[in-house]
Amino acid sequence: MLFNVSSLQDGQTARCARCGQFLTRYRSDGLERALAYNIAALVALAVACSFPFMQFKASGFENLMTLPQTALELYRNGMPFLALLVAAFIILIPTAVLILQLILVSSLLRGSRSEWPRRLGRLMYTLEAWSMVDVFLIGVIVSLVKIAHMATVVLGISFWAYAGFTILFVLAISNLDRFQCWRQIEALSRTGEHTA
Amino acid sequence: MSQTVTAAANGLASCHLCLKLAPKELHHCPCCGEALHVRKADSLQRTFALLVTASVLYIPANLLPIMITEQFGQPMESTILGGVVLLIKLGSVPIAAIIFIASVMVPLGKMLALYYLCWTLNRGTPGNERQRTIAYRMTELIGKWSMVDVFVVSILVALIHLTGLLVIMPGGAAMAFAGVVIVTIIAAESFDPRIMWDQREAQHE
Repeated sequence: MLFNVSSLQDGQTARCARCGQFLTRYRSDGLERALAYNIAALVALAVACSFPFMQFKASGFENLMTLPQTALELYRNGMPFLALLVAAFIILIPTAVLILQLILVSSLLRGSRSEWPRRLGRLMYTLEAWSMVDVFLIGVIVSLVKIAHMATVVLGISFWAYAGFTILFVLAISNLDRFQCWRQIEALSRTGEHTA
Repeated sequence: MSQTVTAAANGLASCHLCLKLAPKELHHCPCCGEALHVRKADSLQRTFALLVTASVLYIPANLLPIMITEQFGQPMESTILGGVVLLIKLGSVPIAAIIFIASVMVPLGKMLALYYLCWTLNRGTPGNERQRTIAYRMTELIGKWSMVDVFVVSILVALIHLTGLLVIMPGGAAMAFAGVVIVTIIAAESFDPRIMWDQREAQHE
């Protein structure tokens, strides 16, 4: 179905008249918002990866766990493929998406006329569907309750950093509207052609 | 709703990646360069084939152990359903409910919903398109949430590692279950809900 969305005002949302699906939302400061959340999310992720995530204590013994270890331990238990999947879903893909978005948004804000925004955008939107940061956070909470009766579990700095990262990541992605972002990329390359 | 104008009827196709509308003769999107289709290619066949794959993988995912707990050197295997039963016995019913919903109801419901959509689309009987489209959007939305169980296993394996006392190891079902989740996500992605609306339009003409 065809819709004319060019008349959207700041903060307004367009939905499909047939099935009610969200189409696009226009925000005049969408790029700046996405950039701010993006940088904050990257900082939170760096913290989450470098400090202990959780600590497990039982009958005088204790064990410390970091975020990258969730994938590494699977690898040590003879499941390299599953380890790769977990690492990709919770760390590698989200990091890649954030870095791609950072470069894309900053080059859009600078008004760069190179081919890069187009390539970065393609890669970013293909990867975006496969990041599962929010799902992992629920997984952490479920496993906490699962072992609560077995032993004492202490939450590390990294856990809180990851929780913050999850929220910031979702905000960074949702503030860069797919439709508006692509029309901006297109508008930039068009002015590039005129001056060239 | 009878006066709707569609892009397909005007010789335009919407790019699935950057949402650009372009003449369908172009084959590649002029904005981002992706392959351009009016409707997703072989949507029904692809979705169905992936659904069958997911259904086959679902068998080892439930029969094999998802986790092996070794307490004082004695291994104990537990399956997905066994874990739910154990949690109910231990008294944590809310967590049992979360696990049951995320690892049993969501993947099963998703596969059944997609089977149903494929079946109605194949028969070509129009009716309640809006409801069916919403059902599709739901399967698309909840897709990745069944990964919770795989993440729980990976966290427990990393966290609980006291050699000789208490060790948790991942079981074969974890891999099979991750496969089910990934294949159903791709199956939902290959499905094109607009075909339902095309059938309705064809009926009205």
